Amino acid sequence: MDYKAIYYIARQELVINIRNKWTIIFAVVFGTLVTAISYFGMMTEGFSGMQNFTRTSASLLNLVLYIVPLVALTMGTLSFTGDKGSTELLFSQPLHRSEVVLGKLIGVFFSIALSTLIGFTLAGSIVIAANGIDGFTRYASFVMLSLALSLVFLSIAVLTSALSQRKAKAFGFALFLWFFFVLFYDLLALGGTLLLKGKAANTFLFLSLFGNPVDMVRVATLIILDNVTIFGAAGAAMLRFLGGQTASLLLLVGGLFAWTTIPLLLSNILMRRQDI
Amino acid sequence: MVMGRVSLLLSFCMLLHTVALANTYHVRSGNVETLQTVIDRAQPGDTLLIYHGVYEGNLHLNKRITLTGIQMPLIQGDGSGSVITISADSCTVSGFRIDRSGSRLVEENAGILIKSNSNVIKENELTDILFGVYLFHAENNFVQGNRITGRRQLEFGERGSGIHIWNSQRNRFLDNVIADVRDGFYIQNAHHTWIENNESFNTRYGLHYMYADSNTFLSNRFYDNVAGAAIMYSRGIRMRHNVFSHNRGFSSFGILFQDCHGLVADSNVIADNVVGMFFEASTNNMFRHNIVAQNDIALQMFQNSTNNTFTENNFIANLNPLAIVGKRTESRWSVDGRGNYWSSYEGYDLDGNGIGDIPMKIQNVFQYLEGQNANVRVYLYSPASQALAVAAKAFPIININEEADVRPLMRPFELTALPAVRAMKINSRNTSASSGNRHAWVAFPVVSLAVLGILYRKLSRRAT
Repeated sequence: MDYKAIYYIARQELVINIRNKWTIIFAVVFGTLVTAISYFGMMTEGFSGMQNFTRTSASLLNLVLYIVPLVALTMGTLSFTGDKGSTELLFSQPLHRSEVVLGKLIGVFFSIALSTLIGFTLAGSIVIAANGIDGFTRYASFVMLSLALSLVFLSIAVLTSALSQRKAKAFGFALFLWFFFVLFYDLLALGGTLLLKGKAANTFLFLSLFGNPVDMVRVATLIILDNVTIFGAAGAAMLRFLGGQTASLLLLVGGLFAWTTIPLLLSNILMRRQDI
Repeated sequence: MVMGRVSLLLSFCMLLHTVALANTYHVRSGNVETLQTVIDRAQPGDTLLIYHGVYEGNLHLNKRITLTGIQMPLIQGDGSGSVITISADSCTVSGFRIDRSGSRLVEENAGILIKSNSNVIKENELTDILFGVYLFHAENNFVQGNRITGRRQLEFGERGSGIHIWNSQRNRFLDNVIADVRDGFYIQNAHHTWIENNESFNTRYGLHYMYADSNTFLSNRFYDNVAGAAIMYSRGIRMRHNVFSHNRGFSSFGILFQDCHGLVADSNVIADNVVGMFFEASTNNMFRHNIVAQNDIALQMFQNSTNNTFTENNFIANLNPLAIVGKRTESRWSVDGRGNYWSSYEGYDLDGNGIGDIPMKIQNVFQYLEGQNANVRVYLYSPASQALAVAAKAFPIININEEADVRPLMRPFELTALPAVRAMKINSRNTSASSGNRHAWVAFPVVSLAVLGILYRKLSRRAT
């Protein structure tokens, strides 16, 4: 592994992304939405204390679940099926293809991270100004999980790009995946529980969470934000199924890690065989 | 006739006699004799003024006597049995600190154990006790302004109740503050109890209730408990101006009703609980003018809870307004053309009479699924759960909604007097989250944005 080369490629990628204004557009849109949500969430503060923090963060989470996968998929596909000339130039360097991919991936990830962090900082300061410092660590973990979500969908974008190579095809594929993971998968899972009965339905429900990185981030964030009580009895059942709060958090984070590495490994195998 | 007049005269003379002979003893700590020996020597009707200091040993009041503490003297128990046991009627205990009771649950070891009638317990501070005030077959007692703090180091199951009322009628409880006990109030077989302006927090159940009819609750506050109140097997209860808030845990609730009939609850606040109100086998209850807000589930009802009435309540920002275990509940959601206010109502009011023109369907598809399999809730906040609700509204093919408020209010019902809520705003420790350093956090976005800006400029410059 040539770390220096990876670093240079990553930096180059970051600069390109900033220059082509994608990052800035995303930052402005995300920042505005997130600030608006947290502001209006906090405006209605009553006497019930921290519940406002949970509710506001949950609304933010909702936005993140829609937008972050979409942006990661678009920016990832754009970058990996980008300008033919520059891609050829990069891959003609005396470097492993995996090193080039890793460098580009890190570059795109940092540009997404940069633009989301602006929004998260603004929203976070509103939330903290209203609620005090108590929620800071929980909010920070939520931000980390959102970043993890973008990383997962970036690596899925790498895989779709490697699979389809052509830009239009890769884009179509990416949009389909976004729709599938954000909406369709959960509908299937909810439908599945209607078909199954009793214990099988419960096992299916809890395992189905691991098939979708969006769900894993959602559940992990809610566990951190509200100590799982938000799920009521279902939360207790889930924790018993997964073996406690720490265990389930570890499992979910581990699942996210797997969802990042497995697409990358697959695309590595694909790319090694490809003629670029 | 003559006899009657004579006996009346006689009793009047006796009254005069006792009043004239009632003595007042001044007791200071450091006396050779113990407090109990002074009590033993006193005549019924005497008053003991007890000055600041420490008085060791359990006390037993077996005659009508008044104990008045001056500057909060401490009565320290033996560490076994109850610290003060009252077995004579019409005693008064006021202005003491009381601690170190025994620790045997079965022997009702309390700070003050009352086994007689018409006593007054006022403004005492009870700490390190198993039970706080225990009423054991005692009637017409008056308990006011006491602070009761239990043994925090014990598990809930090992602690006693703050105020334990067993087989005792017509007692009154005002302005008591109870914390760190098993149940704030435990009430069993106690009819016509009056409970007003008390506060109970950090307990298992703020209020635990069995087989006690015709009780009245006014302006009490139950918060930060595992569960706010559990009201079981009771009839004819009246609740007004109480607050049940921030009772959170896996199977937590603001109020649980089990086999509870003919209750009237009005102008209560049930907020920020996991389940606001939980109903099992409870019928013919009436809820009006209550605020049910920011609970994860506002109402959870078993199918066997029928004929409950809800009118002019405000259901505000609950994640799920209604979860039904079973098919339907046959609840009445409006009376005389007045329904409830639902913050999730999306209807309209063309004739401007303040009542929505289309029914409020209380449950959406996701909430219905939740009733079928509670664990579906792990898909809470997922885009799919929201999409389902929208889809069901646009294409109403799936007809799941039995429960509907046909006369929903367009605006929240305006509640005028809620003294308990105002007190809550001052007392609740939830809202006081480090307000001191709020201003410091303005610096946080400024600094971070500056750092990001510098980073951005540096990067774009390096690229050129």
